[in-house]
Amino acid sequence: MQIQWELILFTSLIAWSAGLFGTQALAAVFWRTKKIQLTSWIVAAVLLIGGGVAVFLHLKHWERIFNGFGHLTSGITQELIALVILVVVAIAYLVVMLRSVDKASVPKWLSILAVAVSVILVVVMAHSYMMVSRPAWDSFIWVAYVLGNSLVLGPATFVLVAAFAGGIELKKVGKWLLIGSIANLLFAIAYAVFVQLVGSSFAEVGMYFDPNHPTKAMADINAIVDAQILLLWLGAVIIGSALPVIVAFVAQKKNDIILWKVFACVIVVCVIAGAIAMRVVFYNLGLSVLMFY
Amino acid sequence: MQNAIVTDLNRCVGCLACSVACKAANGVPVGSFWNKVLRIGPNPKSPGAKCPDVEMYFLPIGCQHCANPECVAVCPTNASHKLADGTVQIDKAKCIGCQFCVMACPYNVRYLNDDEGVVEKCTLCAQKIAQGELPQCVEQCGARARFFGDIENGIENLEGPGEPAAFEKDKSYEAMSKTRVKLGDYVHPFKQDELHKLPDVGNKPAFLYILRDRQWRGKE
Repeated sequence: MQIQWELILFTSLIAWSAGLFGTQALAAVFWRTKKIQLTSWIVAAVLLIGGGVAVFLHLKHWERIFNGFGHLTSGITQELIALVILVVVAIAYLVVMLRSVDKASVPKWLSILAVAVSVILVVVMAHSYMMVSRPAWDSFIWVAYVLGNSLVLGPATFVLVAAFAGGIELKKVGKWLLIGSIANLLFAIAYAVFVQLVGSSFAEVGMYFDPNHPTKAMADINAIVDAQILLLWLGAVIIGSALPVIVAFVAQKKNDIILWKVFACVIVVCVIAGAIAMRVVFYNLGLSVLMFY
Repeated sequence: MQNAIVTDLNRCVGCLACSVACKAANGVPVGSFWNKVLRIGPNPKSPGAKCPDVEMYFLPIGCQHCANPECVAVCPTNASHKLADGTVQIDKAKCIGCQFCVMACPYNVRYLNDDEGVVEKCTLCAQKIAQGELPQCVEQCGARARFFGDIENGIENLEGPGEPAAFEKDKSYEAMSKTRVKLGDYVHPFKQDELHKLPDVGNKPAFLYILRDRQWRGKE
């Protein structure tokens, strides 16, 4: 499958946005600091809009989107429904928060609802790519990996906002960041192992020749998998997932405000780079079961 | 009803006439194909066998007009849909060009037409079969290896273009294109286990391939 950059951006930004919105909602259960919550909400909204723009750029005829849109078995329809629900909950969350006495309180049920819709959006979005026709995509490990991105990007961005705004104990959120980065690493390793072993899922016909493309080499899934090793293991696993765990661990140990700011930035940059690397591998290995056409 | 094509691979000579005819009849852009012929082989007849103990066959591939098409399931606007005659069609006016159907096809036979911004693939020559004609790839098959019709009526009743001997005195193109021969009357006998499908991942491809005395390569 040709690399779809707009969809790479879309899935990365939505995972980031949902992660931040969910983290901020969960944090609201423990701390009520208007500046941190409002800033996080705004950053999450900007990321969501960025994701929305990216996906619209992917569509060749977005103006036809309501020309029968709504086929429920379609992953895109499910994504849109989850996205609209998240937007409605996010707006309700903002209104309730700003109307509260301290301008930072929301009921616990609304916080939990916000966390739930954030998780659902990421799961539904990643699940829409699970297709039996593309063996390298057809695994719930992929869904877990995208959710892992949210689990680290959300707390990392929240820590960054909190480090600048002040008012909460960073070590507590830092613990979420450490747990999230470990989950992200485990899911990244699991998905990397899965795609390394996916070769046997494709149809093999032995020697073949395509007269329409006489100079094109035969499709060799093992060679294609091997060609991804650097991007997969160095980019997505080591830089994108393992490094953030180390940085989060060191930041937690030192618990220094300057270090939190720097290290949270480093984590966000590493995870985004890793997420993009993994998604490039995702498309490079996204060959159909019959990969000779 | 399930319209489909059955190809007798022992008859296919790999002339690519089906591929060329399809492009001419449907205006398929350069570099894209609705129907492509692959040469499968030469492969050893048995494990470890060496030349000349090898075999090969030609395999025409296109949309298989599946009974349970994944491309239809993933389409957000119902642009990809299944008709009552069993064919899978694309309503270009509804296509938003998201390409999820391209991703969902196990055979990779769909592509994005960059000029129109919509996805295209084989229509089984809907414009021709609506008038009682054969799909162009069946009509122009150089080896009379392809047969078209409602597969639920039995594959022996699928039809291909007639033999010249059947044209009698009228040898015109019109007469030729209306004369038919039935698969059951024309191809050599075959057993049930000599009928094959492209890999089925739950989509239930409708097209069948007859391959005798050779090993079918790839999953089914």
